[in-house]
Amino acid sequence: MSVRLHCPNCGDRPLEEFLHGEIPTVPSTIEDPDARDLDRAFMHSNIEGLTTERWFHAFGCRRWLTVVRDTRTDEVRGS
Amino acid sequence: MNEFVERLIGLHWAEPKPAYDVVIVGGGGHGLATAYYLATRHGINNVCVLERAYIGGGNSGRNTTVIRANYGIPEAVRFYQHSVDLYQGLEEETERSVMHRAKGLLWLAHSEMGVRAERARAEVNTAFGAKTEFVSAQEVKEICPQIDLSGGGEWPVMGGSHYRAGATARHDRVVWAYAEGAMRCGVHVHQRTAVTGLLKDGDRVIGVKTDKGPIAASLVLSAVGGQVTTLASMAGLRLPIRSHPLQAFVTNHYGLEFDPIVASADLLFYASQTARGEMLMGAEIDRQPSYSYRSGHPFIQSCALRAMTLLPFLRNLKILRQWTGVCDMSPDYSPIMGFTGVDGFAITTGWGTWGFKGIPAGGEQMALLIASGEVPELIAPFALDRFARDRTLADRGSAGTH
Amino acid sequence: MSEERVAASVDILVDGQRVPLSSTATPEPLLVGLLREGLHPTGGGCLCMAGDCSHCLATVDGVSYVRTCQVLANPGMVVERNHFAGAHPPLIPEAEPPTVRELPAQHQWCDVAVIGQGTSGRAETARLRELGRHVVTLDAGAGQEVAGIYAGPTVVVRTQEATLTVHVREEIVVATGAAEIQPVALGTELSGLMTARACAAFHEAGLDLGSVVAVGEPPAGVEARSLKGRLRRCEGTSCVTAVVMLQDDGTEARHLCDTVSFGLGLHPRTALVRMGHDLPVRAIGDCALPSKIPLPPIEGTVCACSGVRVSDLDFVWNNGFHELELVKRATLAGTGTCQGSACLPHIRSFLEAKGKELQSPFTARPLTRQLTFQEVAAGAHHHATPRTPLHEEHLALGAHMQRSGGWWRPWDYGDVAAERIAVREAVSLGDVSTLGKFLIQGHDALEFLELVYPTKVATLADGRSRYALLLNERGYVLDDGLICREHAERFFLTLTSAGSTLGELWLRDWAESRKFDIAILNQTQSLAAINVTGPKAAELMVRAGARSLPSFATHGASKIAGVECRVLRLSFTGEISYELHHAAVDSVRLWRRLLELGGDLGARPHGLDALMRLRLEKGHIAVGQDTDFDSTPRRIAHEWAVKLDKAEFIGKFAVERTNRQPLDRELVGLEMELPAPLEGAPVWHDESYVGYVTSSTDSSVLGKAVLLAWVDLVGGQVPPVVTVGGRDSRRLAQRATLPFFDAAGERARAKVSVRTLRAQLDAKAGAEADVPSHARSDVESDAQSDAESEVVRMQRATDISGRFAGLEATRLAGAPEVLDEALSSLELPIEGFALRFAPDEVMVTTDVATVQTAVRAALSSAAFNTLMIERETGFAATWLEPSEALALLSQGCAWELPSERPAFAQGAAWEIPVKLWFEHHRVLFIVPAPYAADLDRRMFAGAPSASAGATQ
Repeated sequence: MSVRLHCPNCGDRPLEEFLHGEIPTVPSTIEDPDARDLDRAFMHSNIEGLTTERWFHAFGCRRWLTVVRDTRTDEVRGS
Repeated sequence: MNEFVERLIGLHWAEPKPAYDVVIVGGGGHGLATAYYLATRHGINNVCVLERAYIGGGNSGRNTTVIRANYGIPEAVRFYQHSVDLYQGLEEETERSVMHRAKGLLWLAHSEMGVRAERARAEVNTAFGAKTEFVSAQEVKEICPQIDLSGGGEWPVMGGSHYRAGATARHDRVVWAYAEGAMRCGVHVHQRTAVTGLLKDGDRVIGVKTDKGPIAASLVLSAVGGQVTTLASMAGLRLPIRSHPLQAFVTNHYGLEFDPIVASADLLFYASQTARGEMLMGAEIDRQPSYSYRSGHPFIQSCALRAMTLLPFLRNLKILRQWTGVCDMSPDYSPIMGFTGVDGFAITTGWGTWGFKGIPAGGEQMALLIASGEVPELIAPFALDRFARDRTLADRGSAGTH
Repeated sequence: MSEERVAASVDILVDGQRVPLSSTATPEPLLVGLLREGLHPTGGGCLCMAGDCSHCLATVDGVSYVRTCQVLANPGMVVERNHFAGAHPPLIPEAEPPTVRELPAQHQWCDVAVIGQGTSGRAETARLRELGRHVVTLDAGAGQEVAGIYAGPTVVVRTQEATLTVHVREEIVVATGAAEIQPVALGTELSGLMTARACAAFHEAGLDLGSVVAVGEPPAGVEARSLKGRLRRCEGTSCVTAVVMLQDDGTEARHLCDTVSFGLGLHPRTALVRMGHDLPVRAIGDCALPSKIPLPPIEGTVCACSGVRVSDLDFVWNNGFHELELVKRATLAGTGTCQGSACLPHIRSFLEAKGKELQSPFTARPLTRQLTFQEVAAGAHHHATPRTPLHEEHLALGAHMQRSGGWWRPWDYGDVAAERIAVREAVSLGDVSTLGKFLIQGHDALEFLELVYPTKVATLADGRSRYALLLNERGYVLDDGLICREHAERFFLTLTSAGSTLGELWLRDWAESRKFDIAILNQTQSLAAINVTGPKAAELMVRAGARSLPSFATHGASKIAGVECRVLRLSFTGEISYELHHAAVDSVRLWRRLLELGGDLGARPHGLDALMRLRLEKGHIAVGQDTDFDSTPRRIAHEWAVKLDKAEFIGKFAVERTNRQPLDRELVGLEMELPAPLEGAPVWHDESYVGYVTSSTDSSVLGKAVLLAWVDLVGGQVPPVVTVGGRDSRRLAQRATLPFFDAAGERARAKVSVRTLRAQLDAKAGAEADVPSHARSDVESDAQSDAESEVVRMQRATDISGRFAGLEATRLAGAPEVLDEALSSLELPIEGFALRFAPDEVMVTTDVATVQTAVRAALSSAAFNTLMIERETGFAATWLEPSEALALLSQGCAWELPSERPAFAQGAAWEIPVKLWFEHHRVLFIVPAPYAADLDRRMFAGAPSASAGATQ
């Protein structure tokens, strides 16, 4: 696991300085508007593998950054 | 010389058949308990449980073994109290030792707001059969003399709630007791068998594909922990689940001197002593959704500090080992049990950090659901469609960390 | 005790008896010293002198599970053989242990860490250093015990001086060598047994081993009889007296002896290698060799730590436990102190013989060398609870401080009833500095707020304020607060205390993802806020110099008691209320002046307890207490706050979707006879549980108890009568319309005439000979503040805490390119500098007037108008010498510091958000003032914060 994230404003910082934010993705197979809204509100892709997500640097610049992380190993692959 | 060697349980392995009435995916506590109750209560034994590694190797074998029912809403209190009752009779039921011990659970408050929450907890719990009392700081000290009421000067204890029926049991023994009981009735349990897909007839699920070949079933039950999203997506099902690591650690073995289970919602940790004399510590989930089982240093650093703050005697105890489980967290910190809307596919998931205590009731009720084809009243509130119906089970603060 | 120690300076204490240490010049391992005196620590078992087995454990200086072969004997050491004959040491020792030194934390960075400094380790270290790599070496022999390899990668080590985290940039080389295989046979719990290497070491240390026999490889440099055949058993009562070997022809041969040396082969110490899988970890030397798997054990103890015999393994195997993990769990073999170091090869051998498959070893988990809680916790800190600028004032006034909503807040000042009366009948001050506060400015400000809030922001006129809900995408209430519009492109928002971080990330997330052209400035810590509330609030405000006061639901700038304030008029308490938002540094002054001016009006402060009860009389919800995770606007009867005819806002579809479901429960007002029930009390309808009480208070103004409670609908509506309380103590409660008190809101909205109040004040001043200096002193203080100097003010009157002083600065927020241009225009005074927090935000250590003038001159007016330029007094700072700064940071900071100078860096240190400005000869530590007291204490440990303990 990468214990550090690379914040573009601050540099490499430990994960504990950040708050996690999911980027919801509703599958295109769901067409009904209500179902799409429900999916967006509650359902998670919960990917086992490469996931694009956001982190908020609460202890530093207090801005969001986007990373790609492999949830099997917690290795950050890019931002 | 070693009284802990498991002397009684006998596991019997069978060759897999090409078809069963019920295929349960996941050889943890919930899957095996369901199989057990199907066989013993409903005479349904044409059942197999598929486990990709070894039984009880997932969260059932990694949790911190707390059994409690002191939640904040009636639906949860009723369900978990029933599970607490089943746990109390489990050794008699299975004729196996699970090292169950009722030791009482103290949930500490460190502020006026915390006191308010614990008083509220005591009210709701007691009203629904899980007798809980609010206790003063002095009473906390009487129940657990080792607590530093000043909380290291920073987190003073102002009181708490005391749930006397709080208990612990040896987690893997629970799994084995259910496994053996099911096996004795003719249920098959297949280890090292991974489910790689689902057999379908249109949208209906009619079995599973495994790395050892296909197995047909009238009903497939997902009882997996840590990879439920993958399995559910094979059924075309979206779930409100995010999987997060939950860490724990244990000390070496010391003389048996620590009675209760102690938890602090403010300090976000809890501690108990095992039957072998280890102090067992847990805290909150990791913030990132992840399938990694790697133990972390920040976790143990922080949890050790909080534990010492409340229980200073821990200072010089030696920490032996830390480990991780992957928990399926639901939005309202309550499990998801029942039908899924996909024919032939049922689910028991969302057990987050509260799964171990729910094993007996969860298994019993899922067996009842499968056998009768109807949703039992006790678990109806935990249906998957509650999110669509805007009937979530918000239980603020009670799920805590376990 | 200490006298004894001095007199017997070469003694240690073992089980209460004084034992002399060897007179050799160099200290020797404690185990050797004990064996020399015939005091085997555990009474038996094959010793290894390498930290692999568990046979030399003892309690040393109050800490149990100490491997005595790994510690050097020190004069005065206190040893207790608490592990003798398999015993478990006590959980809580009877006597207070001699003080065990608390280890600090340390952080260190390197390119490569080499664990183990045997032959291979030393050679590899030399090779890497020649290649120019910065290498850190870690060796158990040098007292550096590795607890584990963690993500990063990092290596956590206990050294003599610290619990050290080594942050590795490139790779970790593991050269931990190999352990000698332990014997498994009957009698291996006797004393006098040792591995070949241990035997050699003891011999060299001069221990008398008597007659030595060797099984397997003989011990180097020791005269020993080599025995043929396979080990059958050891014999003796407590010490070994003979070894029985199984010959090739099947017969047994007995050999008398005093000591048995076992050279049964090596198995590599791979725990750290396995722990580091999928991290850049490389094994070299003996630990990279394949494991030697010994012959399957026949009888005897396989796992000494857990007391597991071969017969136990047989038993569980025969009962269907075939997986290594299942065998481990069923027997507990490998789960003791040595974590399989001694027994794993034998268990694997056993299972291979049974199941025809060599199974992989158990997963390797930290800790490889065991640390105490104290050692592990080094460098950890609790979540710091921030405090407002008025914290010390509250304490001085006798407040009981409580943590609430993530802040220290005054719960009460000793008399809640009097505080409530002061609000209802006179005037009272409340510290509401904990509110989340945000300035939003930019071209898209209105559009942005329309998206984020469910109210029609466009209908809010300049100068007006409105209470609004914040919804999430599930349609549930996330937070609430005020929207104050200054003009179409500039708004000021407040959120609840608990919401300021979540609020900020929420606002920024939506601003960014929809690419709104706005800037957001979080002023939660920059501004303090005092609520002046009560029927005489306006009178007090006028006394304090207010020339105009905003009417209900409006806001405006005003100078109060010489302090610039943004004055908001709404009401939470139900009385006339003016919420004064002002620079944090001015708060103490303003607070004291208001209390002073209002003395004869009966002005006193009120705490959170009183506030919550007062607002409850008005039926106002407290988000997080009255609302749950899933409170929709409909459930809390706040549909008026949601405009579904707006085209879009966050949560709109969800609200519409959930509105299509039948309503199941509602938050309603109830009233009943005194006394008020507990918050959390269940609510019943006949015998059915229908909800619980969220807020509850007695009300003397109403003469009854009033509550907010969740109540399920029964037959489509909320029952008009319910009972409240536990199963055995229920009382009737009636549904009541909200608000309970002053239904028309006349008190909160009362009209105020400043002119009339001023006239009264002037008349009073003229009439009295003794002119109270109230009015005049405020005019005077105005003049004083204007005349203050413009250089960086580090030593303001309000010292924050210990070594930290308030910082007078300016924050600018806006488009990055406009900020760049603005900064280039600033001629910073010699002491000042610009700290770029983010591309769209910079803090300049120069006063706001100077900055505004300079920037206005440099930019076009269009560009200038897009910028937010706000006074910033919410930070505290202290200068340190570089050596002190770096030494402290190496303890409290887990990220790598910049090496260039000057440099700006920000992140967590001591678990507090910290900003650092590095110059060649000094380093500035900047911290949000609410955290300064905690940071001061954590950095300069020993200066107890006066307020921390005052919570009772």
